[in-house]
This record gives sequence, structure tokens and C-alpha cells, in this order.
Amino acid sequence: MATTGHNNLNAKLVLLGDMGAGKSSLVLRFVKGQFLEFQESTIGAAFFSQTLAVDDVTVKFEIWDTAGQERYHSLAPMYYRGAAAAIIVYDITSADSFTRAKKWVQELQKQGNANMVMALAGNKADLEEKRKVTAEEARAYADENGLFFMETSAKTAANVNDIFHEIAKRLPRAQPTQNPAGMVLVDRPAEGARAASCCS
Amino acid sequence: MFGTQSKRDLSLEIQSQIPILRPSIHSRRANITVKFQDLYGFTVEGNVDDANILNEGIPPVLRPKVWFSLSGAAKKKSTVPDSYYNDLIIAVEGKVTPATKQIDHDLPRTFPGHPWLDTPEGHASLRRVLVGYSFRDSDVGYCQGLNYVAALLLLVMKTEEDAFWMLAVLLENVLVNDCYSNNLSGCHVEQRVFKDLLKKKCPSVYAHLEALEFDVSLVATEWFLCLFSKSLPSETTLRVWDVLFYEGAKVLLNMALAIFKMKEEELLMANHVGDVINIIQNTTHHLFDPDELLTVAFDKLGFMSTNISKERKKQEPAVMAELDQRLRRLNSSNLDENS
Repeated sequence: MATTGHNNLNAKLVLLGDMGAGKSSLVLRFVKGQFLEFQESTIGAAFFSQTLAVDDVTVKFEIWDTAGQERYHSLAPMYYRGAAAAIIVYDITSADSFTRAKKWVQELQKQGNANMVMALAGNKADLEEKRKVTAEEARAYADENGLFFMETSAKTAANVNDIFHEIAKRLPRAQPTQNPAGMVLVDRPAEGARAASCCS
Repeated sequence: MFGTQSKRDLSLEIQSQIPILRPSIHSRRANITVKFQDLYGFTVEGNVDDANILNEGIPPVLRPKVWFSLSGAAKKKSTVPDSYYNDLIIAVEGKVTPATKQIDHDLPRTFPGHPWLDTPEGHASLRRVLVGYSFRDSDVGYCQGLNYVAALLLLVMKTEEDAFWMLAVLLENVLVNDCYSNNLSGCHVEQRVFKDLLKKKCPSVYAHLEALEFDVSLVATEWFLCLFSKSLPSETTLRVWDVLFYEGAKVLLNMALAIFKMKEEELLMANHVGDVINIIQNTTHHLFDPDELLTVAFDKLGFMSTNISKERKKQEPAVMAELDQRLRRLNSSNLDENS
């Protein structure tokens, strides 16, 4: 869950998606600014942390980068339990990976925190000539399901920092100046906020 | 090629025996004896003196043959026609399954940059072993993690066929059942057994980690599925495997416990899940001295009194129930295994 200090926010973030969609590559790009053509396959999950300043708040992401193979699915609840945010990653050159992404969204809607900020990332956007999933289709799906959507490329770095920034902005937080009473707890997801989508 | 003075030339002494001491076990030395006649086709291109065997585990030059015999791979291979592996490879050539697609995806992602593995020959060899196995046991098919295990086996065993049989004996005999199949249920069981052991052996660390909501499987999943090959320096991994093939899967629990034990004090100071992960990873990635780990695992712990198979049996129903319940909850999402 996102927890606040003075102007600090700790947020657990999980990446989910098909194997080879580029989850680890997105994290590596975000955390270290690097890209490897062949990123080692992740077993179980890998942990990273990275701090971002958004407006007046410092957000420290604790990132769980999970294994993509279907059978590792049974481990996933451990990683998304208590997560404030999730990035569901698919590969724009693979329709199967988009199908998998939708399954992850369904699972998070059923099992995840009601207030979880969910982002849909269409990765490998640099491979336009091999595209199998259109941005329109993905955006429509994201809108329907209350996710925000961006196409990303871990290779060129396009939209990678942006997607994390956008998540940081959307995290529920205490706003000392506007809301001196502290954090407002809501029972149900704020429908308006969740339905908002972001253009890529 | 090698000096022979004051050393026994093992290759000449067909009837002699190699005493191999379990590495770094001073309190409880168990001799294991590998008879030369057990190691068929045995030729040793080197010499071994007793001091090396004592202090350094199985000498690298003997490792392929000793592993092959110790693990039961030799016996397994001897029950089928000699041409089994070649026939299998020919039979499956050109076939495409979900498993072969996943294997192809992982080939360049297995120890990328390695001077042999990351070459066309390395990829082709690893592919044959993994694809061959995926057809031998279609319940397992291909599980991510096996790529690292098979890769290290290829590097040690020298021949692809021997690496294949080592992989087979590992999955079918040495490791716990269903470690890699379907929903990784065997791995889930092992995590629970490990958690209980940690509670018994390092109660304060266990309690502290519980308070931090740190689940040991956050780090141990990779350990148990890659048999430490992705976490420890390779020389240390090989020493762990020496003992693994001799004593069986409980060795993995022992090593995992030792890693936590080694860092007991530091872990008690950690006040965040991320700190715990960093302490553990820093430790495993820098364990260049195998004796450091093995000494803790065998001299300072010693939970052999715990009946591990009984513990596993005890945990199985809970794991099955948990996995079942999860499937039921997600039923409407139709989350079927696509392999």
C-alpha cells in the first residue's frame, strides 16, 4: 500500500505480463537507464527501488518485477498483495501477450486493492513494422477497464519514465495544504479518477 | 601433461577407490566412495591428491563422472537403449509446441554474454537438451529456470547427452516432485517446509521477517528453481551441487537456511522488505568462498534430525488447497495454462 511520511510516499509497484513482454527491460530502463538486447529471464521475481519527485512529493517505488511464464502465475498474489500500483505489460508485436495482459487485469480487478493504480503498457513500440496490437484497441480496452494506457519502448526509452511519473501522480496521498485532516480513506474506488485515461 | 610425482594417477588404478569427503564438514565426516567400475567409460586426464579432495570437494576434472554416477544418472541411462538420446533428438526435430516456443525465447536470455552458451552452438545444444526433455516429460514441458540449470549442466558435463540425463535424474529423482510442473506445487511445498525450518533454526530472524511481512519465498523461489545457479557465484553453485547429488534435495533447504543464518545480525537490523532483499542478494552474489557457506550449512546448523519428507507430506494438503482455492476464485477469468 502507499504509505506517507512528511512529503514522502512509499509505494509498492508490481509488473505483470507475458514472458518476454519486456517487464524487466522497462524496470532496468527506469531504474538504471540501461537497455540489454537480451535480458536474463526472471525467475520468481526481482526487486528494485527507485525514487521519483513528483510535484512536492517524493515517491519511493518498491518495484516487484515478476516472472512471466504462465505457471509462475501461482506466485503472483504474493507480489501484488498490498501493491499500490501495477503495470501490466504486453508486447505490441504479440497478440497473445495482449490476451495475457487482459487476464492480469481481470485478476487484479478481482483480487487486488480497490484503489490500485493500474497502467497498461504496450511495450516494444519501436517495432512498429511488426505491430500486431493497435494502440486504438489497447486504449479502448484500458478506458473500459479504468486503466491508463501508454505505449512504451524500453529500447528507446520512450514513455518509460513517463509511465512511472504518471503512476506517481495518480497515487492516493495525503495533501497537507489542501487537506489538513490527512489521508481520505475511500471504501470504493473513485470511479471518475479510475476511468480517466492518459494519451500516449 | 600433468605431474605424477607423489600423486596417485587415478586413471591407472582401476580397482582403487576415490574417497570423497563432503566438503567442509569437519564435525561429521561422511566418506562417500565412488568405485571406478561404477563409472563406466572412465578415463581421468589428471591427477588428484587427497588434500584436494579433502578441501575442495569433487575435483573439477572428476566432476562429470562423479556427478553422473552419484546422482543416479548413469543408472537411469543404463535402463534404456544407448541410442535413446539421439533417437529422441531426431524424433522431436522441427516440432513446434508451446514449450519449444518458450525455450526459443529463453535461449539468448540464459547467461547472456557467456563465451560458449551465448553462441549459435551453445544455443543449439541447450535447445536440444531442453526440447528433448520437454517431450520426455510433457507434464513438465518447459519451466523457466530449467534453462539455467541445463546450461550449467552443459558446461560441467561436457557432453550434451550426459547433461540431458543429469537434468532427467534431477527432475525425476533428486528434486521434490512437481517442482517445475503445472503450478509449481512442489516448489510451493518446499517454501513452506523452508519457512518452518527457519522458524525452528533462526526464531528471532523468522519473527523479525514476519513482522516486516517478508515472505521467504520472495528470495527462495529463485534458489529452489534454479538450484542457486542464478544467485551464487558458479564455483560455489558447483560445490552446492556436489552435495546435492550426494544427499538429495534437502541440501537446498540447508543452503537456504545457511544464507539466512550467516546474516542473522544484519537481518535483525533491517526495517524494510527492500533492506532484507538487498542483504540477502549482496550475500549470495558475493559468496565466492564455497567453504564459508558449506561450513555454516553443515557445521553450524545440522537439522538432519528433522524429517524433511515427513514435513513435505504435512505441507502438501495445505498447498493443494491454496492452489485449488485460487483457481476456483479465478475460474471465470478462465486462466488456463497455455503450455
